Amino acid sequence: MRGKIIHNENKVRISGRFSVDDLKEVTSMLEGISSRHLVMDFSNCQSVDTCIAARMWSITEAKRARGTSFEFLGMNPDIKAIFDRFEVSDERSPLPVTKNALLYNFEDIGGKVLVTWDTVSGLVSFTAKAFKALFTGKVRGSITAYYMEQSGVMAVPIVVTLNWLMGVVLGYQAGYQMSQFGAELFMPALLAYSICWEIGPMMTAVLVAGRSGSAFAAEIGTMKVRQEVDALEVMGFNLYGYIVTPKMIALFVVMPLLVTVANFAGMAGGLAAGGMFLGMPAEVYIAEARKALVPFDLYWGVIKSLFYSAIISVTGSFMGMRVRGGPASVGRATTSAVVVSIFLVILVDALLSLLFVHLRPGLTL
Amino acid sequence: MSLSLTRLEKFYKDQSGKSFGVLGPIDLRVETGEFLCLLGPTGCGKTTLLRILSGLEKPDSGEIFLLPGRLGYVFQQGALFPWMNVESNVMFPLKATGITGSECRSRAGELLNLVGLHEFRKSFPHELSGGMQQRTALARGLVTEPELLLLDEPFASLDTRTGINLQEMLRSLCGRLSTTVIFVTHNIEEAVYLADRIVVMGHRPGRIVRNEPLNLEWPRSRLSSGFTEVLLSFRQTFEELVDPSATLSF
Repeated sequence: MRGKIIHNENKVRISGRFSVDDLKEVTSMLEGISSRHLVMDFSNCQSVDTCIAARMWSITEAKRARGTSFEFLGMNPDIKAIFDRFEVSDERSPLPVTKNALLYNFEDIGGKVLVTWDTVSGLVSFTAKAFKALFTGKVRGSITAYYMEQSGVMAVPIVVTLNWLMGVVLGYQAGYQMSQFGAELFMPALLAYSICWEIGPMMTAVLVAGRSGSAFAAEIGTMKVRQEVDALEVMGFNLYGYIVTPKMIALFVVMPLLVTVANFAGMAGGLAAGGMFLGMPAEVYIAEARKALVPFDLYWGVIKSLFYSAIISVTGSFMGMRVRGGPASVGRATTSAVVVSIFLVILVDALLSLLFVHLRPGLTL
Repeated sequence: MSLSLTRLEKFYKDQSGKSFGVLGPIDLRVETGEFLCLLGPTGCGKTTLLRILSGLEKPDSGEIFLLPGRLGYVFQQGALFPWMNVESNVMFPLKATGITGSECRSRAGELLNLVGLHEFRKSFPHELSGGMQQRTALARGLVTEPELLLLDEPFASLDTRTGINLQEMLRSLCGRLSTTVIFVTHNIEEAVYLADRIVVMGHRPGRIVRNEPLNLEWPRSRLSSGFTEVLLSFRQTFEELVDPSATLSF
C-alpha cells in the first residue's frame, strides 16, 4: 500500500496514493471506524483510482444510512471528479428537454437528409466495388447456376401469368376505347409496342425485385447476423467476389430471358383479349403486331433488363450487407431492398426512355 | 513479440450523433506463442478489440504492430457455413491460402481427428450439437496453422463439462502448434485455467485495469490452492468492475 489511512477520534486522514491493490486494507480500515460524525481529510492524498473511490463511497453511503454524517475535505480536482461521478449516478435521470417544435422538425429533416446521403454514397461505392469484383474475380459456376435457377427458372410461371393478365387487361381497355372510333385494328400495334417497351421489362423487374432482391438481402443479412460474413472476411475472401458476383451474373443471364418470355406472354394476353372482346382473328392480330414491331423493340427490353439486373442484384446485396444487430434488421433490409430496387428501376426506366427513344428506327416525334 | 498495441482507441456514435469512447486508450504487448486471456464484463469492448485485431473494424486512433502471418478466428456462435458439411467447413479457409486437393483434405482430416469429429465429417452443422459445432469451428480456426488465433467467447454457450473438455483440447492444440492466442472471455475460471497471462478490462470506455502473468504450472488442477488463490484474486477485481455499488451490502 502506497497510501495511508490514519483514524484519530472523528477525523480520518487519507494520504498518499491508492489503487485497486489496496482494496482489502482500505475496506477493513474504513469498516472498523464508528462515529456519529466523521471528517474525511484528503489534503495529502495524491490519487485514488475508481475502484477505491467506489468502495469508499459505498462504505460512507452505508454508514450514512445508519446515521453517520460525513464531511469531505481537501480533495484535489482529480479525486473530486471521480467521487462526483458516483454522486451524479445516484441522481434520477433528468426529465427530457422539451424541444421547440419548429426546430425539432428542421432537425428531423437534416437527420433524414444525412441518412439518405449516407445510403446513396454507400450504394454508389458498393456498386463500384461489385463491378470491379465482377470483372476481375473468378466465376463460381455451381452457385451462379443455383441463383439462375432460383431467380430465373422458378420465376417463369409468375412472370408469364402476370404479363399475360396485363396483356389481357391492356388489350381489353385499349380495344374498347379504340372501337369507339373504329380504330380497333390498331390495338395489336399499340399493345405490342407498349408491352415490349415498358410493360414487359417493368413488370418483370418488379417481380424479380420482389422475389430475388428481397431474397438476396435476407440471405446476406442472415449471414451477417450469424457472423458468416465476418468469417469469410477474416479468412481473406473478397466478399464482393464471393457473395455479390454470383447473384449479379445470374441476373444478367436470366433477366433478358425472362423479359423476352414476358413480352411474348403479354402479347399473347392481348391476342386473347382481341379474340374475346373484339372478335379479332389471331392471324389478323399477329399480322398487325408484326407490322408495328421492329427487331429493335425486342432488343430494347433486353438492353433495359441488363440495367435492371444490376440494380436488383446490387441493391439487394447492399441492403443485406448493411444489416447490423439482430434478426429485426434483416426484415428492415429486405423491405428496403425491394422499395429501393423498384424506385431505382422506375427512375432508370424513365431516364432510358427519355434519352434513347430516338434510337428506334423509323420513329419521329 | 507477436503484436503490440499503442494508445489504441475506438469511438462509436449514439443516436443523437454524439461520439462516445468504447475502447482505450489501450497499450498491450503479446509475445509469440503466448496464451493471453482478455477478461472483462459484458460490454467492456473485448470483442471490439478482437475485431480490430482481425481487421474487421478500424481503430480511430493508435497503432497496431502485427507480424505478418496467418490469422485464425473462432466466433462466439461458431459461424459455420450451413450449406457445407463439417469437412468442407474445415477445409474452406485453406482455399483462400491456395491449398487444394488431397493436401487440403488430409489437413482437414488430421484436425477433425484431433477434435474427435472424423466420423461426423459428412454431417451438416444443423445435425451437430453445440459442442460439436464449436469443435468444428475450432478445427476451422486452426486448420491453416495460424500464427495468431483469436477466440471470442467460443465456449460461452456450452455446458460446463463440454466447456472444460474443449478448454483442455484448445490448450493442448495451441501448445503443439506454438500458436499465439488471444482468448476473450467473461468466465474467470476459464481464463485462469487457460492463460499464460490475464488482462482484465474495465468498461466505458474499455481499458486495461489489470495485466498479470500467471505463475501456475501445467497441467493445472482446478482444485489446487494456487489455482483457487489466483481465481479469488481475479474474481475480486472483476466484481469491483461489474458493479461498484454491490459493496453496499456490508
